This record gives sequence, structure tokens and C-alpha cells, in this order.
Amino acid sequence: MKEELEKLFGEALGNLKVAGEESQVTQVRTEFLGRKGKITALLRGLANVSPEQRPIVGRLANEIKLSLEEKIRESLASIQARKRKERLLHEKLDITLPGRRVPTGRKHPISEVCNEVIEIFLGLGFQISEGPEIESDYYNFEALNIPKDHPARDMHDTFYISDEILLRTHTSPVQIRLMEKQEPPIQIIAPGKVFRCDSDVSHTPMFHQVEGLMVGDNITFGDLKGILTIFLHEMFGAKTKVRFRPSFFPFTEPSAEVDIACVMCQGNGCRVCSSSGWMEILGAGMVDPEVFRIVGYNPNEVVGFAFGLGIERIAMLKYGISDIRLFFENDMRFLGQF
Amino acid sequence: MRASLNWLKEYVDIDLTPVELADVLTMAGLEVESVIKIEEDLSHVVVGKVLSIKSHPNADKLSLCQVSIGDGTFPVVCGARNMKVGDKVPLALEGALLPNSMKIRKAGIRGEPSEGMMCSEEELGIGEDASGIMILEDDLVLGMDIVSALNLEDHVFDLNITPNRPDCLSIAGLAREVAAVTGKALKIPSIEVREEDGRVHDLTSVDVRDPELCPRYSARLISDVAIGPAPFWIRRRLESVGVRPICNVVDVTNYVLMAFGQPLHAFDFDLLSEKRIVVKRAKDGDTFATLDGLERTLQGDALMICDGEKPVAIGGIMGGLNSEVSVTTSNVLIESAYFDPSNIRKTSKKLGLQTEASYRFERGVDPEGVINALNITTRMIADLCDGKVAQGIIDQYPSPFLPKEIPLSIRRTNKILGTSLEKERVGRYLKAIELDNKNLDRDKLIVRVPPLRVDLNREIDLIEEVARLNGYDNIPTTTPLARVTSGRRSSAWVAEDKVKDVLISLGYYEVVNYSFISPKLITSLGVDVNHPFHKFIRIKNPLSEEQSIMRTTLIPGLLRTMKTNVYNKNSDLKLFEIGTVFFPNEEDKLPIEKRMLSALVTGLRYVEAWNFSGDEIDYYDIKGSLENLFRALDIRGCNFSCAGDIPYLHPGKSSTIMIGDTQIGFVGEVHSEVLENHDLSKTAHIFEIDFDLLVKHAFSEKKINLLSKYPPIYRDMALIVKEDVQSIDIYDAIIGCNNSLVKEILVFDVYEGEPIASGEKSLAYRIKYQSFKRTLTDQEVNKAHKKLVSKVLEDMGARIR
Repeated sequence: MKEELEKLFGEALGNLKVAGEESQVTQVRTEFLGRKGKITALLRGLANVSPEQRPIVGRLANEIKLSLEEKIRESLASIQARKRKERLLHEKLDITLPGRRVPTGRKHPISEVCNEVIEIFLGLGFQISEGPEIESDYYNFEALNIPKDHPARDMHDTFYISDEILLRTHTSPVQIRLMEKQEPPIQIIAPGKVFRCDSDVSHTPMFHQVEGLMVGDNITFGDLKGILTIFLHEMFGAKTKVRFRPSFFPFTEPSAEVDIACVMCQGNGCRVCSSSGWMEILGAGMVDPEVFRIVGYNPNEVVGFAFGLGIERIAMLKYGISDIRLFFENDMRFLGQF
Repeated sequence: MRASLNWLKEYVDIDLTPVELADVLTMAGLEVESVIKIEEDLSHVVVGKVLSIKSHPNADKLSLCQVSIGDGTFPVVCGARNMKVGDKVPLALEGALLPNSMKIRKAGIRGEPSEGMMCSEEELGIGEDASGIMILEDDLVLGMDIVSALNLEDHVFDLNITPNRPDCLSIAGLAREVAAVTGKALKIPSIEVREEDGRVHDLTSVDVRDPELCPRYSARLISDVAIGPAPFWIRRRLESVGVRPICNVVDVTNYVLMAFGQPLHAFDFDLLSEKRIVVKRAKDGDTFATLDGLERTLQGDALMICDGEKPVAIGGIMGGLNSEVSVTTSNVLIESAYFDPSNIRKTSKKLGLQTEASYRFERGVDPEGVINALNITTRMIADLCDGKVAQGIIDQYPSPFLPKEIPLSIRRTNKILGTSLEKERVGRYLKAIELDNKNLDRDKLIVRVPPLRVDLNREIDLIEEVARLNGYDNIPTTTPLARVTSGRRSSAWVAEDKVKDVLISLGYYEVVNYSFISPKLITSLGVDVNHPFHKFIRIKNPLSEEQSIMRTTLIPGLLRTMKTNVYNKNSDLKLFEIGTVFFPNEEDKLPIEKRMLSALVTGLRYVEAWNFSGDEIDYYDIKGSLENLFRALDIRGCNFSCAGDIPYLHPGKSSTIMIGDTQIGFVGEVHSEVLENHDLSKTAHIFEIDFDLLVKHAFSEKKINLLSKYPPIYRDMALIVKEDVQSIDIYDAIIGCNNSLVKEILVFDVYEGEPIASGEKSLAYRIKYQSFKRTLTDQEVNKAHKKLVSKVLEDMGARIR
């Protein structure tokens, strides 16, 4: 009986090997293990086996049945796997067709750059402050040490609403408004729109500035250089060369213009930087004691610095834009590139 | 301001290249914007001397000259007649190519040989004079190349002098700075005036009636001057700094102005009635004809230079036609004065007249330099115009300016700059710019500042000079010790960022339009004059009518942006802007500023492609954007109600946006008439929201609901209702049933048309029933749903489809 069992097992395995379809495999199961199957039929004769041989043959029969079941499952699994693979191969997509992309918009480049500037200063501990876009002559000029008949007013081509009310020409009035209502220490930036009556390739009657102010009892010109150098390195890369040179603003003293090595020619001199190798990027200085006196601080105790930078200018350098007016035409062919 | 390098070198030795010098000046706070090289290509043109002049045998108008260049003599046939034997002239020899493209070669002219050409200024391209051969200074060396003989090569610096440094608005002033920073000596020539017969005090007088506006007025008289063109070198210098030559006397005053920064004026002395000067204020409404030929109306605070009976100049700004120096002039009175800066500025602004003189006076000239400039001018005019100088100077200077004495604390200097400079070093820096100083105490210097430095009045002004001379680059770069702050954005900034992010993710592009618009754009919205949009603020001095009022709404800007883009063939647009609008306030108060959020959509929802159908954007797209926005901002209780009467919106396709009882904005389709006004043919949808109100309602606190463990059951109902029934009414009716098992209501279909009768429409709802306590049975949901449906049918007068 042992021999017969092993022979049937061999026969079943042989059938499995050639079975290519699931039905052929299940047929093997029916033919050998089913109720009328060959192995089942053979095992009905187990009663006739001698009592000593019976457990041995029984165990063998069991092993063969389990083994055959296992082989049948494997066979089915491999046929199914093969068939799935064949099916998937038929379901191939043209994966190079464009996706079902829901179009997204973009921030205006001015917002983008302004946010970048703000992020850097927030990281340095500055807070955001704001003020009105239409200002009084007092906040825009007089409190900033620019009296009515001062030639420094020539530096600002001002739009007037009335003799005393105007469109702010810089974000500096925010300094005054803040210092009037808050004691030092102060560490703020003030982003916003400003206006000057000027219009050509490099001027628009409206543009954006970010003002900065840091006031305390122990702040130096060296600190001003430090903070602005960090900012410029964050903005334009750590290798950017920065220089500070003397200048004049009525509300700061000493005053400085800050230049970076020309981003177009890396400082070798080109048309963009008028061959100087440098580009003006912001104005800054130590707050003039007169301004402290005007807002009611004690100029002998309080020191601080202020700075102002033009967002459009930075955006133009960053993106290589030569005509500032593009920012306000809002042509999708322009906005779509950011 | 422009400065010539050749001129500068007259007052200070410079061994830097022009580029190096530009850098030195810039780093000293005198920003050089550009350096222009001036070159003349005049090879083969040399200094020659006329040895003989004979008439041409075959031509009446020509002459035959022999011209020597030292080591050779050339025959030259010449048409001009102004030269004499012995004159030195520019001679162009064979091989020369003149700027007017004339090539010089040996030739025969009417049978006589001519081996070169004597040239006029105009032919050499170095001046306007074409009247005859240029006659050169007698001391030039024969045969010398003309470019070096006339010093024609130069560099011109274009400087941006800040308003605090009027002392640098002259060549000598710049030279002083160059000397200070390079350590070279300043070479300002001292001048001696040869005085002749006649005492100035006998010949004329100066009466200053307003010493406050004219603290100093000095004058000299020169008689028998011969008016003519100034010598070439003066004209050349003036042109190099952008001043047009006029005649010798005027050119000298301009030359001294540019060289030393002191404005001067020459009057034709014989045209001054009573031969005297009176300085007094104008009478309101006086008119006066200035040198530029314009008739100007004056106000009472303008300071006038008058003669015995009438004004002859606007003090410090411009002279008058009635006393102008002309070819017939033979006696001149030279004025050198100091005027009050602020008054000059006022008058110049009122007249809209800025001159080289007013530019300097309003910033402040050196009151102590007045006499030196007068003497230099007098000497030059006397030399160049053969004039005779009367004895003495008139100098009305009742209260002289004294040097200021300012204490400077070294401790404070170092505290502000973050440096550790010693006192000796600081003292040395200040001496380099002619600020004498000595020790006051252990910490302080006392610094003597001459009146010429109008910008130095306080300790901080001196600290700036120390910083500047030390070099900003040599101040250590440090970082401040600061307190820790909360470093947080305000909720308005957070909201603004959030709004932008949401709209961008929905496909909207941010735009930035000008805050000023044309009043026509307000009219184009079809709003009447009482509408708030019409209560706009006007700019007094706009660049153009197009930008003359402050916007009261962002909508016109968006429509304009739409037009720009449609014109450029981009007609599928989703745009938004966050910006300020302005409204008038009570008098003397600043206007009211409101921040608005506006958007415009037009064209296709998606560009038609293999994967998208090309449907037009409609009201529900823009409404959906708003719903998304409110969801992202956690704004509750928001609803849209019929707007009806917004003039610029389609009356049937627009709504106001409410949060509770507060109206925060509107949304809808742009009225077709408005689109027509903007030459737009495609429809567009817009919204505008008060951004501050939006922020006020944003970020409401969230409470999270429990999640039910039991399955929901859905039931549908399709209703046929009158076409004017609104979806919100049915929604309200469903809510009105008060069934706590109803958890969601979804409109899944809206249909009008066959087989629904006209005047009716079908709305289909899917309702989600769910309990938090148990699994619902079909039977109980059916029962509840049936009850709900019959209540809705009854309330709405509807029937089941």
C-alpha cells in the first residue's frame, strides 16, 4: 500500500506540473483527494492493513495528503500570480500624458520678497508694526527732523492731499508713531506701501519699503552693521560682499548707504552697477538725537538704529528684472513666472 | 554735481587713477555715480605759428600762409582772415581726420600748394566758434600735439552730493575732502587785486534793509571792461561741468561759482539807476523779468536786489533782464553775498525756479568765503577783459558768523559707534578736515568748526565725521544684546497669509495695483454720486488724471488688470488683491483707511484639455472659493443673501456676504454695462470683502464633536418646486423638522427643463440619518424620512418628482 500511495503521489505531482489553468489544478485535487479520488479510494483499504503497519501507513498517507494539498495551493497561487501579472501588463497607461492638475495661483513677487524679508527679521527678534499710508506732514517729515524749508525735502517727491496731509514717502513715520506710544527697548520692522511722484524704468509712483528700528540703551553703529550684514547674507547668500559708506538722512546720524557686490557682474563692473561693482541696497543710520527728543525720549540715554529698504529693488536684483513697472502691470505672463 | 579731474588737480595733488579716486570719494560720503572719460581724437593736429600771410594770386577770398611747427614750415591756403602773423594756431597736417570727417592731405588749391589746414574750434569739435581760426595762447610750444597743449583729455565725475554738504558743491570743496582723506596738501591760490583810480565808496553804495535775509552783501566795481568771449580754457572748463559759456564777464562769475561754490552776479553798472544797490523785500504781486526772459510774479517774502528805483535781481536766485551784462556793457558791479538759506528755498519753490545759485544758497554757502570769491572774480575779469578795478570793497556784514565751538566726548563717540578710538586719533581725524580742536577734559575735546561746515552743529555731527574719517569699514561689525520677545505675527498678518495661501491653492494669482486711480473708473462702475465709492480723496499734484484719486474700491484695478491680460490673450483669469482703500475724514484728521480683499474670475474654469472640459466659470465657482476661504479661517455663521441693488453687479446673480448680522462684502457677476464701459466682452465675477471685519470673525474657537460608532443611513428626496424657490428655503424647511437624526443635507441635483413643466424646477436632496446611541433600523429611518418629506412638501408647496 505504501508503494501505491507513493506512486499516486508521484502521479499527482506530475499532473500538477503540467497544469496551466486553475481548473486543471482543481481537477488534480478531485482526482486524487476528492471523495471519489484515487488516494481516498486507496485509503479505504487501510482497514485491511496489518495492525502493526496501520499507524505507519496512516501517518504516511496523512503526510502525502498534506503535502499534496500544499503543492496544489502553491500551484494555484503561482497560476493566479502569473495571470494577474498578465492582466496588469495589459492595463498599461500612457504615463507621459499630463496629469489632472488643478491649477494653483501665485503670490505677487512683491509679497513673496516682502515675506522673505519679514521672516529674516522675525528670526532676529523683530516684531511687525504698521502705520497709515496717508500721513500728516508732521509724521512724514517734521518729526523726522525734516522741517518745512529743508533741502532734504528734495529727496522726496511728495504727493499732497492738502498742505498738511500727504501720501507717505517712506515707512519711517511708523518709527515715530511707535516711539510716541512705547518706551524702549524697541525692535520692529514696518513693511508697507510708499508713494513718490516719479515714474520711469526705475521708479514707480508707488512702491514698497520695509523700515527697521532698534532702540535701547546699548546699541551701536557696529550692531547696525552686524544686523544688516546678517540680513543681506540671508537674503543674497553668505558670500555676498557688503559695504557701508557715509550718506545723509535727516533722521539718522551717522547715516549710511549699504551696498552689496553687484549680483549681475559679481563686482567686476557692468552696466547695471554703472561699472562700480556695487549696488545700493538700503539706507540706514543711528537714530538722530533730535528724533528721540521729538518723541519724548532722553537723547542722552537712548541709542538706536534705523534702516529702510526697497522691496522692488531687492526683487529686481533677485529675479533679474530691469523694468520696475512690470510689478504693477500684473501681466499673467509675468506673474506666472514666480 | 559734475567735477572735472583736471580742474580738481589744480587744487590738490592726486596720484590715484580716476576709478580709485571715485572709490575714495564714495567711501568718504561723496557718492560718485559715474566717471566719464573725455577724449578727443585729434592726432596730427599740432600747435603752429603763422610766419607770413600773402594773398592768393588766383582767388580773392583766399590767402597763402606759411605756418611753422618748430622743426618744419608748411604752406597753407586759408579762407579765414582773423589770424595775424605771429599768432599760434591749431594746424592739422596730412593724416589728420577731423571730427567733421574731413581728411587732411597735401593738395593744390587754385594752383598753390597747401600742406595742412588751420582750424576753428568748431572744426576741431571742441567748441562752437566757427567764425575763424582758433587763436591759441602765446606760451604754447610749437609742434606740440593739440590734445596735450590744450589739456583736452579729462575725466568728469558725476557726484551725488547730499543736502548736508553744500561745502562740497565746488571743485575746491571737493579738493578739500580729497586732501583730507588722501593726506595731500590743499592748494588754494591766494589772489591779489590790482586796484586803480576811483574809490568804490565814492562811486556807489549798498543799503541792506533786511539783514536777516541778507546777512552779508559785498561788491566791487570794475570799469572799462571789454565784453567778448572768454578764453578757450574757461569755456572748456565750464562745459566740462555742464555750464554753457555766455561771455567773458558772466563766464568768470560762473567759473568762480563752480570753482569755489560762491554764487556771484555781475550787473551792468550803467543800467543801475542812481548807481546804487538796495536790498529789500518785494511787494506782494510785484512782477519782474528774469534773465531767462520770463515775467515772474513775486510775493512779499522774496528778497530783491534793487537799484535806486526798481528791482534788478531776485536775490540769490536770478538776475534781471534790465541790468544784464551785454556787448555794450563797459562798467560792471560784481555782487558776492550770503543769503538766508530757508528764505531762498521758499522763494525758489514758489517761483518754481532753481538755479546753480539758489541750489547753493538754500543749502548754505560759506559766509566767510564771500570776499575771497569776490576778489578772485574781480582779478579774473580785470585780467581777461582789460578792466580797471575801483579801490576798496563794499562789505555789508553787520553780524559776522563766528566759528562754532562744540564739545565732543570720546566716551560717547565710542559708545555710539561701538569703537575704542583714542582721543588723539579723534583729534587727528578732525584736524584733517580743518576742524581745530584741543583737550577740554580727560574725556572731551573742544572742536572749532568754521561757518563753512553748515552741517556741523552738535556733538553727533562730529561723531559722524569721526566715523566717516575712520572709515565705516573699520568699525567692528557686532550683534546687539537684545531681550527675548514673543516674536509673533499679529493675527491680521497671520490671516493675510492664510487668505493668500487658500486663494492661491484655489488657483488665484495675487496682483498689486496702484492705490490711485482715475475718477472715470469710479463712474464706470455705474454708481451715482452719493455712493460711498464716489466719496474719494483727490491728490493735489497727481502725475496724471489717470492716477489722481485714492481708490475707494479695488474693483476698478482688477477690471483694469483683466483688460491688460485679455489684451495679451490671457482670458482665463483668477485674480485677487489685498489692499487699502481710502475715504475722507473730518477736517484736519487723516483719512479713513480700510483694508479690502477683492477677487475677479473670468473665462474657463479649467483650460479645456484631454483631461478637463472647457466650462465657463460661474457664480458658484467664486462663491465656492469664498466658502473654502471661510472654512479655512474658521468663520462660522456666514451666509449669502440677495443683493438686488448693487449697481455694478448683475441683479439676479449677486449677493451680499453676511457674517451673522454684519455685512462684510458682496459677490456676483459684473454688470454687463460695467464690462462694456471697460471694453470687455467676456463676463466676469467679483467679490470684495472688508478685510478687517473678516479678520475680526476669523479663527473662532473649535470644539470637536464625538464620532458616532453606529452606521449612517441615507435617504433621497427629489422635489418639484416653483422656479423662484431658493435652495436655502428647502434647507431651512428640513432643519425646521427638528429631527435630531438628520446629520447632513446634500443637494445632489438641480434640474430645469423637460419633462419638468416650465416655471418649475427639480431639486434633489440626500439626507444622512445617524444616531450616537444605537444602530438605526430601516423602518424607523423610513418613518422619519416620510414624515420629513411630507412636512417639506407642505411647507414648500412642492411635490415629489
